[in-house]
Amino acid sequence: MIKRILIANRGEIAVRITKACREMGITSITVYSDDDRNSLHIRHADEAYYLGPSPASESYLNAKKIIELAKQVNADAIHPGYGFLSEKADFIKAVEDAGIIFIGPSSKSVELMGGKTSARKLMKEHNVPIVPGTVEPIGDLKDALKIAGEIGYPIMIKATAGGGGKGMRKVTNDKELESAFTMARSEALKAFGNADIYMEKFIEDPKHIEVQILADKFGNYIHLFERECSVQRRHQKVVEEAPSISVTPEIRERLTTAAVNAAKACGYYNAGTIEFLLDKNKNVFFLEMNTRLQVEHPVTELITGVDIVKEQIKIADDKKLEIKQEDLRILCHALECRIYAEDVENNFAPSIGQILHHRLPSGPGIRIDRGIDVLSKVSVYYDPMLSKVISYGKDRSEAIQRMKLALGAYQIVGVITNIHSFKWVLSRESFLNGTFDINFIEKEFIPLLPDKWKEYDSEEYEDVVSILSALLKNKENEFKAETQSVSSSNKWMGQRYE
Amino acid sequence: MNEYVVTLDGKKKEIKVVNESTVRIGDIEKEVIISKVNNYLYLLKIANKTYEITTQKLNEEKFRLGVDGHLFETVVRTRLKENASEVIKNKSNEPHITKIVGPMPGLVLKIFKGVGEHVEENEPIVVLEAMKMENEIRSPKSGVIKEVLLKHGSTVEKDAVILTIE
Repeated sequence: MIKRILIANRGEIAVRITKACREMGITSITVYSDDDRNSLHIRHADEAYYLGPSPASESYLNAKKIIELAKQVNADAIHPGYGFLSEKADFIKAVEDAGIIFIGPSSKSVELMGGKTSARKLMKEHNVPIVPGTVEPIGDLKDALKIAGEIGYPIMIKATAGGGGKGMRKVTNDKELESAFTMARSEALKAFGNADIYMEKFIEDPKHIEVQILADKFGNYIHLFERECSVQRRHQKVVEEAPSISVTPEIRERLTTAAVNAAKACGYYNAGTIEFLLDKNKNVFFLEMNTRLQVEHPVTELITGVDIVKEQIKIADDKKLEIKQEDLRILCHALECRIYAEDVENNFAPSIGQILHHRLPSGPGIRIDRGIDVLSKVSVYYDPMLSKVISYGKDRSEAIQRMKLALGAYQIVGVITNIHSFKWVLSRESFLNGTFDINFIEKEFIPLLPDKWKEYDSEEYEDVVSILSALLKNKENEFKAETQSVSSSNKWMGQRYE
Repeated sequence: MNEYVVTLDGKKKEIKVVNESTVRIGDIEKEVIISKVNNYLYLLKIANKTYEITTQKLNEEKFRLGVDGHLFETVVRTRLKENASEVIKNKSNEPHITKIVGPMPGLVLKIFKGVGEHVEENEPIVVLEAMKMENEIRSPKSGVIKEVLLKHGSTVEKDAVILTIE
């Protein structure tokens, strides 16, 4: 029976996990680095232990130290959150070997889904549609040209060990393939120490759709429907929602069946997400599986009423899933906006500092998951995500309307955030009618930088802030004049008393 | 009566503070009530509407303000100072040196240009890594690089001068 959980993470997700622990009567144990001494996850935990200096490699990524600490404080389970150590098979193995329960899948499942070509091969064998292309590394240029002829241009060349766009190239004909082939190989070798590459068909302007699944250790699998996360910048999601406006019952059937098959293929248990691309012809293709809790899990929680974190803990604790697939319905529409500490107008530069003032919005259909409060430090060492504003309503337009109200009432002073940029997204025609795809921000927003997108800024608000600025400056000037006269009279008085 | 010129998003607004509860914006007079909630939050009542406005003073004349999900940076000067700064601006057409400071602390990943090279306005000159992300620092103006005060692989502090351009 799990009684003490060590949360090997920080920020909003660490806070989120402490809440599930509280509800279940489990002791939550958090860890922190130097820069996180005042962070919210320390304040919410039952116990908090110092881990090390601020750089992640010396704190939240220090697997050895975290496992040692877990033993010392008698934690019987570790929740990894997302990011950091959550998908490192070595870490999971070490936790398992230390006799501690890992709240997540087995290291074996993570390994099976970790390699790009091996995961593609596994999916193909289990009837999960993959992007047309190879499932083995390509030997030489001759093979590459032959395969290109079969799948047809445009084609993406990708590194087998890849990630982050490195070693990735788009080619549109044989000649481009010839030169890109060698270059991609050398780039992959440099970046990952492995020159292996594979090829897949380039999908034009797809949507990013993913399916949340839950599975227990007794072979029970359910899905919690889809989420759409097409609003992203440089592979970083910005707005997520559930359900997707573009997914019909027929597409949903194909997606969720594929997702459950994918989870079964790697003997998965715990919560997981299978990411797909949805192309213009409504084909779905397996992209990858995230073998952990995801940032955007709250939208699924809101539309299904399932607490995913609590389910994770129960599954890790060898409990059978109590929820049956046929009991699940899509209850409402939910939306999530990720609040980042970044200066949109200044090329999205991260904004760091201390939170000086923080006030949350509230009202019908609003949930905030956050990692900050007054005094929290926004540090250069970690992800710039501060919090998530989640709204829900009976339909999409009600959820959007509530989101706009909540964003308007959310106050953060101390760092610059992207809060003010969401009104643009949430009012954009292609977002509203559902035609947006993963290039939405790149195609529609980036060309309006630095400030053309701010045209909605009404004159009313410009006048209001101008008046306040002048009044504040005026007060300052008057105060200065006053203190000057006071100090001069003091001086005079001082002289008199000498 | 005190006269101020507020600049925001390239626009200028003239505000006259008649007394504590009366301001004139352009030619329109407005009754206002200002209440301080805390150092970073004010209430401003204009006619029958009350606004909640977050404020952060960035320097002697610069404020960052947020209202109803909108974000502004204002520069406030007295009429006198505004006139003076206009004069200085017009005079400064002769070449002068611009210092580029690091907008954030970070690790220097790439330096695109060296001393003596020409840069265009908005051209990327340095890539800094901070918060797991690569951030391009772009040149605020066109010119010739006079000094490069950072090295590949080194870290820079926020607001430290990293380059000068003539």
